[in-house]
Amino acid sequence: MNLIEALELSKKPVPPDAKLFRVFLGCGFTPLHLQSFFHAHLRQLLPENRVEIKTGLFGDLAGSLERLDPKALDGLAVALEWPDLDSRLGIRELGGWQVSDVDEVVSSVDRQLSRLQRALTTAARAVAVVVALPTIPLPPLFYTPPNINSAEKTKLLLSLAKFAADLSEEPGIRILDSQSLNSVSPPAARFDIKSEILTGFPYKLPHASTLAQLMASLLQAQRPKKGLITDLDDTLWSGILGEVGVEGVSWSLEHHSHIHGLYQQFLSSLASAGVLVGVASKNDAALVQQAFDRKDLLLKKDKVFPFEVHWHRKSDSVQRILKSWNIGPEAVVFIDDSPMEAAEVKAAFPAMECLVFKKDDYQSVWDLLANLRASFGKTAISKEDAIRLESLRRAAPLLDALGQDGNASDEFLKRADAFVSFDFSKRPKDGRAFELVNKTNQFNLNGKRFSESEWAKFLADPASFLVTVTYQDKYGPLGKIAVVLGKVNEKKLHVAAWVMSCRAFSRRIEHHTLKRILDKFDADEAVFDFQATERNSPTQDFFLELAGAPPQPGLKILRTSFLEKAPPLFHRVEET
Amino acid sequence: MPELDDRLTRCFASVFPALSPDQIRAASVETVPDWDSLAAVTLIAVLEEEFNTPIDLMEMPELTSYQAVRDYVQKQIK
Repeated sequence: MNLIEALELSKKPVPPDAKLFRVFLGCGFTPLHLQSFFHAHLRQLLPENRVEIKTGLFGDLAGSLERLDPKALDGLAVALEWPDLDSRLGIRELGGWQVSDVDEVVSSVDRQLSRLQRALTTAARAVAVVVALPTIPLPPLFYTPPNINSAEKTKLLLSLAKFAADLSEEPGIRILDSQSLNSVSPPAARFDIKSEILTGFPYKLPHASTLAQLMASLLQAQRPKKGLITDLDDTLWSGILGEVGVEGVSWSLEHHSHIHGLYQQFLSSLASAGVLVGVASKNDAALVQQAFDRKDLLLKKDKVFPFEVHWHRKSDSVQRILKSWNIGPEAVVFIDDSPMEAAEVKAAFPAMECLVFKKDDYQSVWDLLANLRASFGKTAISKEDAIRLESLRRAAPLLDALGQDGNASDEFLKRADAFVSFDFSKRPKDGRAFELVNKTNQFNLNGKRFSESEWAKFLADPASFLVTVTYQDKYGPLGKIAVVLGKVNEKKLHVAAWVMSCRAFSRRIEHHTLKRILDKFDADEAVFDFQATERNSPTQDFFLELAGAPPQPGLKILRTSFLEKAPPLFHRVEET
Repeated sequence: MPELDDRLTRCFASVFPALSPDQIRAASVETVPDWDSLAAVTLIAVLEEEFNTPIDLMEMPELTSYQAVRDYVQKQIK
């Protein structure tokens, strides 16, 4: 994007009722074109929003951050540069590059980083924070030649690295990866010394555009995909299993098939981060099981579910895998070495990303792995990520037990030995409740997503409540699977958000959740901010069952009516 | 040179979106209240990109009207 495009995009009209997205762009220099590019990139990511960007005082980044009211923001982006840590690390102030100054500069950077860390950590409790570490080079301040890392310079870099590491551990803070930035904005082509001296803006335009784009994408991160379906022959391993046999397929340096080993290792890594990995292969099922018994396979059998191995169409396999996972095609990537198979699946599932594994093009496979990490990357791994695959595998008996109406029988549920835990804390120990509300589609009251600041503001209201539901049965734990957010006024509940993971369907957890919150607040009725979406048909079905008619916005359910219509509930219950 | 005027008008419109094409061609620091130092720096950056030619920020005090900018750019791209 060049500057004229950015300015034109920023000034495109928005609907008068467009939701406001307020961001603070923190930088110690004149924000000038960085602000224009940042605004434009946010507009691209949030076409329905009106974006408002505020900036702080020139030369006082730390003070600007300390004076912020993060609750009034939807995002905070900080473009840190060396002069923000000590003005002697910039060029606009003169008189500080003596050898005797260097130790003091290092100490003062430490102090300033601590100050910034406090301000950013405080802000991150209320708003999403994005931080770009210094992107322009240090000035020729050190007495050593520039190609020697002096002790003082190394200490500076160490302090910065520690600052970044500490901030990375904060749930609401995302640090822009310097290597990613380097790959798209060459470090030597970033600094515009003339512009810095004459206008106080240090960046060349291409760098400003790239930096703004990356910061905007971190602030409005895409939701990670959830599942990957892989082919086997000439994809997960080299060779055609039916032709060369179990011992004939390979993925090693000695067989010149190491690239397949790398792919296996990567899939195993994705699986360990909670990504669902399934197999769709036209193959002999017994042979595939034997191949997965090989001890040297890097993607172990227990990391894969389900296996669809037969001679039918790949799209049929994919259909069944999606059903087992209970997720939509847009959340899945399909990989096959055959362009024809990839095209066949793509034709059946246009929303699915279907990629070709080009086994002889190592660079292409390497790029594929990087792109997959971008698609599946998460900011944190939750307990639920660790148990997702196992809970799906264990849910298979439940799926088998479902009747044609999609419901399990009373007898089956009675024997499931199910246990539901309701946590009414408004300050949960982790970000799972927030994450669930912002990623669940099917059982979702209205599809509304919350920014960190909206979430914090809602919960700050004394009338508000938050319920986080955890479930387990004899088939295994599902972890935290449902969240209800609302307000209570005397004996009336107003439910603003209600989501439940698709892994928890058909267990009557939604019925028990509604019963529990009615009981907890001794409410006579509940009013729901219901809104039909393209994907919340499970929610619509639930309310249809309770209300006897398709739900409408403002849906009201009386306690007496609910108790009449609710099916028997067999869970043991705990409140924490 | 109608093409030059079209390109210049687009540059000016991106910085001063409230101005009509006619107002742009008559624009100057005196007639456009939004034409402050920040707008001037932005205008120069936009012109540099559009015409792929460096414009010395030192020239900024002279580039105070559409006509002055037009004359300067015309000379630069000859």
